[in-house]
Amino acid sequence: MLQAIGLSKSYGAQTALDGLNLEVKPGEIFCLLGANGAGKTTTINLFLNFIEPTSGLAKINGLDVASDALETKKYIAYIPEQVSLYKNLTGLENLDYFATLASGAAVEKSRLVGYLREVDLPSGAEDRKVSTYSKGMRQKIVIAIAMAKQAKALLLDEPTSGLDPKASNEFSQLIRKLAGNGTAILMATHDLFRAKEDGSRVGIMRQGRLRQVLNTDEFGHADLERIYLEHMHD
Amino acid sequence: MIGTVAKQEWRLLKADRTLAAVVVLMAAMVGYSLYNGSSWVAFQRQTLGAAETEQAERKGKLLKTLKGIEEGRIEVKGTQDPRSAASIGGNSSAPYLAMPPAPLATLAVGQSDLYPYYFKLNLRSKQAILANDEIENPTNLLAGRFDLAFVLVYLFPLVALALGYNLISSEREQGTLALAMSQPLTMREMVTGKIVLRGGLLLGLVVLFTFAGALLTGVDLGSSTVWLRLGLWVSLMALYTGFWFGLAVLVNSYQTSSATNALTLAGAWLGLVLVLPSVANLVATSMYPVPSRVEMVQAMRVAGKEAQSKGSMLLAKYMEDHPELMPAGEKPAADFTTLSYAVQMEVDKKVEPVLKRFDEQVEKQQAFVEGFKYLSPAILAQTAINDLAGTSLGRYQHFSRQVDGFFDAWKGYFLPKVFAKTKLGSGEVAGLPVYQFREETDGDILGRVGVVLAGMLVLSGAVLWVGYIRLRRVSIS
Repeated sequence: MLQAIGLSKSYGAQTALDGLNLEVKPGEIFCLLGANGAGKTTTINLFLNFIEPTSGLAKINGLDVASDALETKKYIAYIPEQVSLYKNLTGLENLDYFATLASGAAVEKSRLVGYLREVDLPSGAEDRKVSTYSKGMRQKIVIAIAMAKQAKALLLDEPTSGLDPKASNEFSQLIRKLAGNGTAILMATHDLFRAKEDGSRVGIMRQGRLRQVLNTDEFGHADLERIYLEHMHD
Repeated sequence: MIGTVAKQEWRLLKADRTLAAVVVLMAAMVGYSLYNGSSWVAFQRQTLGAAETEQAERKGKLLKTLKGIEEGRIEVKGTQDPRSAASIGGNSSAPYLAMPPAPLATLAVGQSDLYPYYFKLNLRSKQAILANDEIENPTNLLAGRFDLAFVLVYLFPLVALALGYNLISSEREQGTLALAMSQPLTMREMVTGKIVLRGGLLLGLVVLFTFAGALLTGVDLGSSTVWLRLGLWVSLMALYTGFWFGLAVLVNSYQTSSATNALTLAGAWLGLVLVLPSVANLVATSMYPVPSRVEMVQAMRVAGKEAQSKGSMLLAKYMEDHPELMPAGEKPAADFTTLSYAVQMEVDKKVEPVLKRFDEQVEKQQAFVEGFKYLSPAILAQTAINDLAGTSLGRYQHFSRQVDGFFDAWKGYFLPKVFAKTKLGSGEVAGLPVYQFREETDGDILGRVGVVLAGMLVLSGAVLWVGYIRLRRVSIS
């Protein structure tokens, strides 16, 4: 579903991403690990066509992102690190706007409320202004947008940073549910625990290169930390 | 997509009370300015009404006296003969020549408080008529009135910029830009949705309030010329709105912060609305300086003195040139009245070149500003609104030409009679021509405003075009 072929991005002499080859299949959760500046966010921005690749291809559902930007955006949903919504509007109004943009047509209110129940937003919260929401609640709205869009791929940029353990756990369950329904998920994260728990595969990045890809069922929590630190040290 | 964005904008404006603020602000500004405009128009109408009454009474009295004399009831005493051409043409039947306020005069005071809108005719020079203007506080004249044109040309852009300065930057700053742009939506669609709603809302409010105000202040909506003018006015405002939102898009395309955008746009407003018109004025007056008024007055005095000293000679010469005016069986008259008219004519002749130079320089200045105005949408809007309201220089000149024509005809009729010492009867006085202001045709208005609209279209189009081209390069991350 998500495919990077020799994907590179450089800003002048500085290389942010160097020849990334990667494929995320439907139902798979791929976690990108790495220090700040390793190229995780660059990868996500390339899939979103927010930046143009220097070379290589980013493909969604077989379509080149750079040449078919608008079409590919129909298949993906994105959850940024800072989940920001329109503060002065209610959760439901926010969902309505983005869901309408996403699907190109108005979505019935009952369906929207249904999605909010599905992501477990507290009942009654949908009519409150978003300025009263926690990050976890805002994230739920964005996940509801992805559901309304029936996105085939989900791009997440450090979704669990700043979440308390309970919210983080709830979030994981939602992600797994989406993957269970066949969504391909690419997640950039610093959270080794969540990566091991939720991910099907993890990739460790450093200085724009994908150094190693591991299947999460082949090692334990402690192993992952050790391997990660090994890559960071040399 | 554009519709979805526009709907969202509507929600946002409602939610943060911007909508309410804009509605109240526009209603207050439009309402107050229309009140000012209509009270100025009412004052003009009242003045013209009083002038008309006075003129009718004066003529009525004259006719009564003349009839009395003709029927032998009244005896002519003293030196002043009410039947003399000088008395009738110069005073007792001299009409007011007035330019009544145009149908949409409430929209703009324009030049109408600087230029006289009525003249009382006499048989002297044009200068004598022009000097007969009202006295108004010069500070008020300099500052201009708080009329609708002021609101639309100067304040309206500020409201437009307040609504447009953060079109993209606010989305970026509150973090919603990435979420919106991860949907199948282009930057251009988003910006279009935003400016269509915000600009349309502002334009709609101004049009609505102005139409309501026009109805309240008694504008005759039944006439086609009013509708033509209102139509042109709405088109003008649409283009003017487009220009300011285009400028906002252009500035936003540089991806600077909301605060920087606001400063940049405030600077642009200052430059286009205040500085550029002043520069135009400054350049025009220094390139084509008008001879000083003192010089003009001096020339008149010198000519006056010279002519005075040889008054009887001038009169004799005039009578030699016009033997047909010789009063029957009399020696050429050399009384005070005839002498003074002979002197007057000589002075007029002498002063003419000075006046002409004066007019020429003013015309050159105007021609220069005429070209300059295409640089600033504010000057364009102001000239067009004045034209539509009938308070422009163009209409004033139109009136001035009519005054000249009528004045010449009036003098042409009376002056020979003054020299010939002809006495007029009530029949002749009753048959004197009456002045009626001829309004500018719709074609005149359409011609002048059409050119301005075209200029505005080019300016707005250019700004929007460059802004939209640049939108493609706006980065989201």
